[in-house]
Amino acid sequence: MHRFAALLVVALALVAGCGPEKNTPAPPSSAAGANPADSFESSTTYETVARPVRIRIPALEVDSKIIDLGLRKDGSVEVPPSVAEAGWWDGGPRPGQDGPAVILGHVDSSDGPGIFINLHKVRAGTVVEVDRADGSTATFKVTKVSRVAKTRFPTDLVYAPSLDPTLRLVTCGGSFDQARGSYRDNVIAYAAAA
Amino acid sequence: MRRLGYRIAAVAVVTVTAAGVAAVRATASTEPAAVGRMVAGTASLAPASSPADLAVQFEALLGQHSVLAANMMRSRFRGDDDFVQAANASLGKNTNDMTALVGQLFGDATAQKFRPLWSEHVVTLFAYAGALADHDDAARSEALEELTEYEGELAAFFSGASQGRLPLATARSLVVMHIEHLTGQADAYAAGNYAKADALSRAGFQHTYDLGLGLAKALLPPSDTKVLDEPVWRLRSQLGKLLAEHAVLIEDATRAAVTRTPDFTASGQSLNANTSDIAAAIDTLFGAPAARQFQTLWAAHVEALVSYAAATASEDSARQQAARDKLNGFEQTMGKFLSGATNGRATPAVMAAALSEHDRMLLEHADAYAGKQYAKAHDIAYQTYDHMFHLARTLADAFGRAVAERLPKGGAQTGFGGMAGIVEQN
Repeated sequence: MHRFAALLVVALALVAGCGPEKNTPAPPSSAAGANPADSFESSTTYETVARPVRIRIPALEVDSKIIDLGLRKDGSVEVPPSVAEAGWWDGGPRPGQDGPAVILGHVDSSDGPGIFINLHKVRAGTVVEVDRADGSTATFKVTKVSRVAKTRFPTDLVYAPSLDPTLRLVTCGGSFDQARGSYRDNVIAYAAAA
Repeated sequence: MRRLGYRIAAVAVVTVTAAGVAAVRATASTEPAAVGRMVAGTASLAPASSPADLAVQFEALLGQHSVLAANMMRSRFRGDDDFVQAANASLGKNTNDMTALVGQLFGDATAQKFRPLWSEHVVTLFAYAGALADHDDAARSEALEELTEYEGELAAFFSGASQGRLPLATARSLVVMHIEHLTGQADAYAAGNYAKADALSRAGFQHTYDLGLGLAKALLPPSDTKVLDEPVWRLRSQLGKLLAEHAVLIEDATRAAVTRTPDFTASGQSLNANTSDIAAAIDTLFGAPAARQFQTLWAAHVEALVSYAAATASEDSARQQAARDKLNGFEQTMGKFLSGATNGRATPAVMAAALSEHDRMLLEHADAYAGKQYAKAHDIAYQTYDHMFHLARTLADAFGRAVAERLPKGGAQTGFGGMAGIVEQN
């Protein structure tokens, strides 16, 4: 604070008429030559991210190919036809691209486990790897896991766009509603780029 | 004597800052800039005084500080005619605005502590650039020593104000990185390594922009900042950063173009990197075909602005007019594109008007700088940044709502019940 007070005192000298002087280093000017701005061309490309083709979660012994998923007629997300495969919702970002990529998998079939039977067991720090069609791999670490009623599914938190390169893994959980033939909850693992 | 003159000029920035704080604080919450109001009026916005809103404004001001400080240091090194105006018109105003915002966010007592600390680090950055210009290693060492001292003081200030949410070591590393970006870009610039200087400057902008949000989240009660992790706020913040950077990089390239300086090439590369980043963001939101269409339009916009600056340097009025004509076309076409992307939430006319205002300010900035009206040029640059911040907010909200319409509805039917006995135990 005392330094600031001292600087204020110095500033009064400026009011009294001490103006700044021009410095000696020559500005890096090329006024006499060609202007580099004359040949400027704007970028017309950007770095794209390839489609996801495989997911691996070593801690859960998950290793599956990934298929593309769209929307059903009722507006809900499609799910993989096989309980042994994961699916990527292709209406959103690709894993590793800016934004939330969403991969879904079944918790079970009618008589056995599905690929995400143990998704509820992941913890903060669990590694998720997603291979892409160009041979690259995007690596994520789980940040949190939650279980929510499907009637209160957090569409915003799972799907809504931001520019953070994140991943969401979705499966079923909770109690099974025999009348409807479906689980009442979804288990959601949130992961961020590692 | 020469160095004393410059140092006095820098101190004048601090005193201007001090004098302006009260006035800015009195108006900051109720009087948005005219350009911001113009854009803000085109879409429904959340109240601009919520803690989250102020936090997003704070990060924008911190990002702007990084750019202005880098500009000031380069200007001091080059010995530009306009360096005093640059410092007074922009950096001092930025410090004023930040101090006012700190007062709104964290209280007057915190603002009173913040201002001198912040101002002193600005003065020392100026001294560092002066030492580089004078090849005065002793003065440079002295400035570095002082900066190290300020790093500790600023870190202690932020950590102390966070009530334990921001550890001192973390705060220090964040402040140190900010200082290193600025001194590093100045070193590179002084060595004629403009590509490195611009890469560090860009990294510095992004770091400082994000730092603003991090500080706000650490210093404000968690209940006030929880919303900042929600997608809508993340998008506002991230789109704001990308578009604000576009504005400052265009201005940087413009200054280099009208003065024909060799650092233009590096400026152009930074500008292109930003253009690619914005296109990538559009890909995230609307897919690759839309992103490619957007980037074609945006590239024409950027090229026209640079072309105008280059034409201004060569006093080629025909080329200037051609650039204006291209910009007029861009504004209409991009207005339609954005209106379509937002499902009509932003009308073509409103979008075109906002883009026209953006271009008008950038052209006036080029004219003013070429005409050596430096104070005017820097004032316009400041307004352009503010305008872009508000435009980004408008777009982020419109984009977010448009994308929400095509998101899946409800939960996923990812189970058939065969393992219900086990699943229900989890």
